[in-house]
Amino acid sequence: MNEKNALRRRIYAMEFASWELHLFLDSHPGNCDAARKLEEYRNRIDALVKEYEEKFGPIGETPQNTSRWAWISDPWPWEKEAN
Amino acid sequence: MFVYEKRLQYPVKIKNCNPKLAKIIISQYGGPHGEIGASLRYLSQRYAMPYPELRAILTDIGTEELAHLEMVGTIVYQLTRDLTPEQIQEAGFDTYFVDHTTGVYPVAASGTPFSAETFAVTGDTVADLHEDLSADGAIA
Repeated sequence: MNEKNALRRRIYAMEFASWELHLFLDSHPGNCDAARKLEEYRNRIDALVKEYEEKFGPIGETPQNTSRWAWISDPWPWEKEAN
Repeated sequence: MFVYEKRLQYPVKIKNCNPKLAKIIISQYGGPHGEIGASLRYLSQRYAMPYPELRAILTDIGTEELAHLEMVGTIVYQLTRDLTPEQIQEAGFDTYFVDHTTGVYPVAASGTPFSAETFAVTGDTVADLHEDLSADGAIA
């Protein structure tokens, strides 16, 4: 796996973990440890995304951060090339 | 509202086509214990849920089930790439192919299209939660 894909994989893994913390906090809204952990993960994601975008350009195209033209470009997530 | 993230929740990259397997896996897409039913169950039950923790969980899990739906659809899609007519017939995929070709249609492995009859929204907290426990036991 090249550096670009490895970094992307790391970002998605961190996002996966922070989503799990989000769900945990739904049923444990007073758990400060989990809230701190979530904040820490979000900061780490922000740093990794910044590193990725400086090296390789925009990640996770959304209508907010790209032109419409980039949004319609391949590969879509169901294609092997995107995974 | 919902915003689409242009990526899968977990990567799917299948090397070899396998229409026979696709015919089974599609049940997790549109079958009685599939992800569409899971998503609609939670997103529809949340309106009558009186507890803040559970309103949040039903919203978030119902949303996550849509991400699961997308991964299952992707698996079916990738398993049915570049099929030959012989592969379609040998795998018994012909009965699906005749109506849907290689489009991904929400259907059970037995051929029954998805139906909201596969889940319940009663508006009763305990009844709905029991249904959720039962459903998640079946679909893990």
